[in-house]
Amino acid sequence: MNSNIKKEIHINKLFILDDIKVIMRILIQLLFLCLAPSLLSQGFQVNFQGQKQQGMGCAGSSLPRDASSLFYNPGSAVFLNENSVIVGGTPVFANVLFIDSASNGAYRTNSPIGTPFSIYGMFQAKSSAKLKFGIAINTPFGSTIQYEDGWIGRFALTRLSLKAIYIQPTFAYRISDNIGIGGGLVISKGSVNLQKDLPIQDANGVYSHAELAGKAIGIGYNFGIHLNANKKLNIGIDYRSKINMKVNDGEVTFNVPNSLSANFPNGNFTSSLPLPSVLTIGAALKFNRLLTFVVDVNAVGWKVYDTLSFDYNQNTSSLSDTKSARCYKNTFAFRGGMEWVALRCYSKSASNEIMVVTKIPSHELLVRCGGGFGISPVQNGYVTPETPDANRAYGTLGVGYNFNQKTGIDLSLYYTKVKRADTNIETQISGTYTTIAWCPGISFYYRW
Amino acid sequence: MVKNILPLISLLTIGIIFSSCKPKIDASSVISAGEINAQHFVAIGDGTTAGYMDDALYHDGQINSLGALLQTQLKLVGAGEIYMPLMGNANVGTNANLLSRLILGYKTDCLGVTGLSPVRFAQQGEGSSLTTSVYSSQNKFTNFGIPGLKMIDTYQHYIGDPNDLGYNPYFGRMSMDQFTLPAWSGIWSTVRDNIFNGGNPTFCSLFLGIEDVLPFAKSGATANPMTQLFGPPGVGFEESFASWADMFSVQNIKAVVGTIPDITQMPYFTTIPYNGLNLDATNAESLNQIYGPLGFSFTVGSNPFMIEDPNAGAFGVRPMVEGELILLSVPLDSVKCHQYGSVYPLRDEFVLTLAELQEIRNQILAYNQVIRQYSNFYGLAIAETPDFYSGLNDGFVYNGVSMSAKFVSGGAYSLDGIHLNPKGNALLANVFIRAINKKYKATIPQINALNYPSIYFP
Repeated sequence: MNSNIKKEIHINKLFILDDIKVIMRILIQLLFLCLAPSLLSQGFQVNFQGQKQQGMGCAGSSLPRDASSLFYNPGSAVFLNENSVIVGGTPVFANVLFIDSASNGAYRTNSPIGTPFSIYGMFQAKSSAKLKFGIAINTPFGSTIQYEDGWIGRFALTRLSLKAIYIQPTFAYRISDNIGIGGGLVISKGSVNLQKDLPIQDANGVYSHAELAGKAIGIGYNFGIHLNANKKLNIGIDYRSKINMKVNDGEVTFNVPNSLSANFPNGNFTSSLPLPSVLTIGAALKFNRLLTFVVDVNAVGWKVYDTLSFDYNQNTSSLSDTKSARCYKNTFAFRGGMEWVALRCYSKSASNEIMVVTKIPSHELLVRCGGGFGISPVQNGYVTPETPDANRAYGTLGVGYNFNQKTGIDLSLYYTKVKRADTNIETQISGTYTTIAWCPGISFYYRW
Repeated sequence: MVKNILPLISLLTIGIIFSSCKPKIDASSVISAGEINAQHFVAIGDGTTAGYMDDALYHDGQINSLGALLQTQLKLVGAGEIYMPLMGNANVGTNANLLSRLILGYKTDCLGVTGLSPVRFAQQGEGSSLTTSVYSSQNKFTNFGIPGLKMIDTYQHYIGDPNDLGYNPYFGRMSMDQFTLPAWSGIWSTVRDNIFNGGNPTFCSLFLGIEDVLPFAKSGATANPMTQLFGPPGVGFEESFASWADMFSVQNIKAVVGTIPDITQMPYFTTIPYNGLNLDATNAESLNQIYGPLGFSFTVGSNPFMIEDPNAGAFGVRPMVEGELILLSVPLDSVKCHQYGSVYPLRDEFVLTLAELQEIRNQILAYNQVIRQYSNFYGLAIAETPDFYSGLNDGFVYNGVSMSAKFVSGGAYSLDGIHLNPKGNALLANVFIRAINKKYKATIPQINALNYPSIYFP
């Protein structure tokens, strides 16, 4: 026992020296990634469901680290022998700059800070139980974008707020020591609020305004398989189904000149917004006791977002139902990262005769980094102010610290810069969108 | 180790946050005048260049004129201050009949139905402005947009003579003559005299020719003959334009000239449909009794209006055919309530027949051929405004806004159905800017037309 500890500490020291070079190289590469000029995103998908994964380039479907596996791959959750609760959030600081190609006019967003959050609870009846159950609550889709007053695209959009909260009760079962499966029902509750100006001026020259607001609900599922291929390699496959968010009793409010109020009656509308399926295949490689690499490939079924339509209950000569082509295409995203144990201490009970060392480290400092590349689902001619999307590269950093065997904190930082020039076929809005987003995240866990 | 890594991470984090919170505006988009010298810019034209709109010349229209908007953009590449013969009151203005501008208001028709309609803003127009000189010898006008100005007028002395039938009061108020016959010459100064009097234009826009056909069209092709193609400057269109082009060349002035749109596509001519005569069974039957002997029959629903046409058989009356146009000057209450256009045929002055339309359009084509030929010869930039105007007829989308030639709701025309509103002028100015950029290798930014108003609704 004693010698084991010494060995561990010894190895640890060795790797600390060796890994400095590796770490430096990775940091430099990461820096390069962060400053790389082009890049992207995938629609209004938000990939912030776990700080440990976010630190490693948002990958982790094959690496069970904590209860966030309920989202990333329920099949892997069974390999965690613990009850745990995690609460976390990732404020999104995103700024968009639009340069109109004809007038050179520059317009910015002043969007509120995005607040993706996630809460997980994972439980087992007894230690090492084959069956686990849990609940995951998170926000994998949504965004709020608000453009500055008087911007050139105001008649297409002034503000869009999309929210979708996924609530996912989940069961996971360990078939053998090497294979785990898990699945859950996903109940998605959401809301949409879309605002734009109308090109109608009142007697004082003030433009009219329309606001469409509604609540939406949809149902889907999440299913995952985890395979321990050997001691070093894990493979995970996860599928989250598409969810069609239906808005049935949305309310539309028009602010128009009195003489036209009959043409623009306030009332109800119906609409729907599909949230795409995500198929993830991932692998995790335990390079050694201190270094782990993960990769994920997402196939996202964005093709379901073909048309955005609004069906007004009451149509008039001025107000007809609208159908806007979105024509999203299915896409892929590639994510990868690594985790390195910078410090690991085991507590020992101070008995004079025998040193008892716990299996779980009492203190642990983990350093993570990663990055990824996502291909935009938005085709040329279909870029809209609501999701100024482009192919996107991003980089992430992360740190985790366990205060003791039961509690810990994880931090992450995500950075991306995205640029896309386009002329929208429907609105003829033509120019270049540049988006910079940085997203520092934090979560706390408690396990027992 | 922890001590090493943490500062590194913090440093990196802070670096990223502070260096790139917001995307920076790329400074690589250079604005350049290309081959033009915009310093002394002068806009020459008719009501569109002057900012005549809503059937009047008024201050708020003038500051949103084609000339003013063009110069605003040219200021980005060195053009000077805008000096124009501004009217006194922001919104009253006046037309040649001393009526104020039109606004959108409520009007009750002969059937007792109240609806939106163009109405005069004030009881009277700002007539005194037409008899007050606004000439300034210090600040020479940079905008020689003169409502009603024909291509041939620019050479004529009579348009500055208050006692002549051809006098143009919009010119008189800005002319250096200041309503007094100049003793040194003994003749009234022309528009051209004024432009070159002390002003040394380095760059000009010239958009003339609409008024050489418009009065004829507005009379239903009954009066105000169109400018003939041939004849000396001041009489014939070709030599008048050629003389301008030659003058630009001689004085080493670069210029952008506009070709002439098909004016019969304007809402003034297209708003009332030829077959807008809607009949119930009773009315259809009584019209059939009246016109049956002439061989015309009417049905329930929409029918063509009846018009006078001297060439239409013994009675000189016939139904309109598709493609023929009714002018906005037609007395609508008579149409709605007094069987005008059915029992009583529309008079010739309210209608353009196919033959008349052909005559007008052919003349415009001939003018445009002249403009293109000489402009190409002298190396002037050509703004193809017919493409823009016919684009409005087809409808197009501009930054999420549907624009069309539809009266009132189309968003580009003012309430007179002929002149553009400020938003329309901005879009038209962009046609000129694109022409300048292309011909003279400039990179003058276009205007965000959405910053300019269209029609206000009560």
